[in-house]
Amino acid sequence: MSNCTVTGKHAATTIHGLKGNRDLQSGILKRVLTSVLILLCLASCAARTVNVEGSYPRPNIPAIPLVLGVYYGEGLTDFVYTELSDRGEEEYLVASGDTHQVLFNTVLPAMFERVVVLDSMEEAAARGVDAVFVPRINEFQLGMPQKTRLDSYEVWVRYNMRLTSADGSYIADWVMTAYGKATASSFSTAERGINDAAVAALRDLASNFSLGFTGVPDVRDWLQHRMSQ
Amino acid sequence: MIIKAQHSMLSAWLRTMISLGLLALLQACTTTTIDEFRQGATGITADDSVVILGRRQGAAYETRAQFVECVGERMARGSNAINVVPEQQFIDAMFPWFEPRTAPLRSEDLQQLMAQPLVKEIMTEFGVRYIVWLDGQTETTSRMGSISCAVGPGGGGCFGFGSWEDDSSFEARVWDVSSATAVGTISADATGQSYMPAVFVPIPLIARVEANACSSLADQLKQFVQGG
Repeated sequence: MSNCTVTGKHAATTIHGLKGNRDLQSGILKRVLTSVLILLCLASCAARTVNVEGSYPRPNIPAIPLVLGVYYGEGLTDFVYTELSDRGEEEYLVASGDTHQVLFNTVLPAMFERVVVLDSMEEAAARGVDAVFVPRINEFQLGMPQKTRLDSYEVWVRYNMRLTSADGSYIADWVMTAYGKATASSFSTAERGINDAAVAALRDLASNFSLGFTGVPDVRDWLQHRMSQ
Repeated sequence: MIIKAQHSMLSAWLRTMISLGLLALLQACTTTTIDEFRQGATGITADDSVVILGRRQGAAYETRAQFVECVGERMARGSNAINVVPEQQFIDAMFPWFEPRTAPLRSEDLQQLMAQPLVKEIMTEFGVRYIVWLDGQTETTSRMGSISCAVGPGGGGCFGFGSWEDDSSFEARVWDVSSATAVGTISADATGQSYMPAVFVPIPLIARVEANACSSLADQLKQFVQGG
């Protein structure tokens, strides 16, 4: 009997202890779940950043026997495109400044005898360049499959290309467009699709720029003048 | 008694499934038609290679890189295998001359391109004798039926029937690099009906339309460039 009482007390204590532990565990679990839900909500609400990365082949074209200075200004290096959702919230931030520099640092040395990257326009004359090239992004558009109802990601970019002499005077100013697309795959992410479409657009720019540079009327006139000197 | 009834139900279900499967297997086949148009004599030596490139100029569609790769892989294996230069390797080495916006569209454009010393040099390095331009796509049409799936605490399952038709239409234009002329065109059209019956589990019975178009086109191309 006494044994029975002791057992009963012990059991009651154990049950009480278990209940307390369960309450504690349940409380922790609730807090963890709430935190996870908040984090998930924040993660889904926050805009996702795509830092465009890619490699570009060197063009196989004859080099122009001139020294070109290139200045990557703010309109290129810090360019970030913001894609908004249907509700007007920031959905994707596409940063392409670094990859544009990689692209021009690959393409330009193949097009010219020597290329000098300038930190400012003012140092052009001191660095002994024949001309200064200043690329700038004017407009960037992104086509997402869920919005366009197509099975691909599309990127369209409009550039303003400017060529000046070392003292800053006008040589040429022209507009170029680039287009790239990447097929949307069931096993890939939207970030990957945007990146691939952007890299395809930059490759399109590189091919068009390297083959069309000498065909820009003002550039052609300037080159003819320089070569005849 | 109950066990016996369950056993007979299971047998009936199995018989139905096997009958459905066999029925669908019989019908999930592909019809492929190959047409060849020869414009000039062909032939290839062991040192020569072929490059297969996909046309990507159109806005509506672009030839899938996987299809181009499939044709190339099939041409490069088996008896009388041909040296095939991988598409991306060739395009990168030739940059910027074979990009979607700059690639030659006619064989006459190839003559102009070959006048570029750098282009000619790379072409010789690869030993490219023939350029094959692949143009086409696979479209899915005539989608019918529906499959519903449900999941509950006791398990889940699907029920229904779906079917669709795939149509592949590809054209391969062959250019002889040595003469910068078009030497022929081979077209491959394949059609097939796919089925997806679902009784608890969906059973896909896929007609391998694009794969058949790939193998038929590759075999024909192999014969064509070898002069057969």
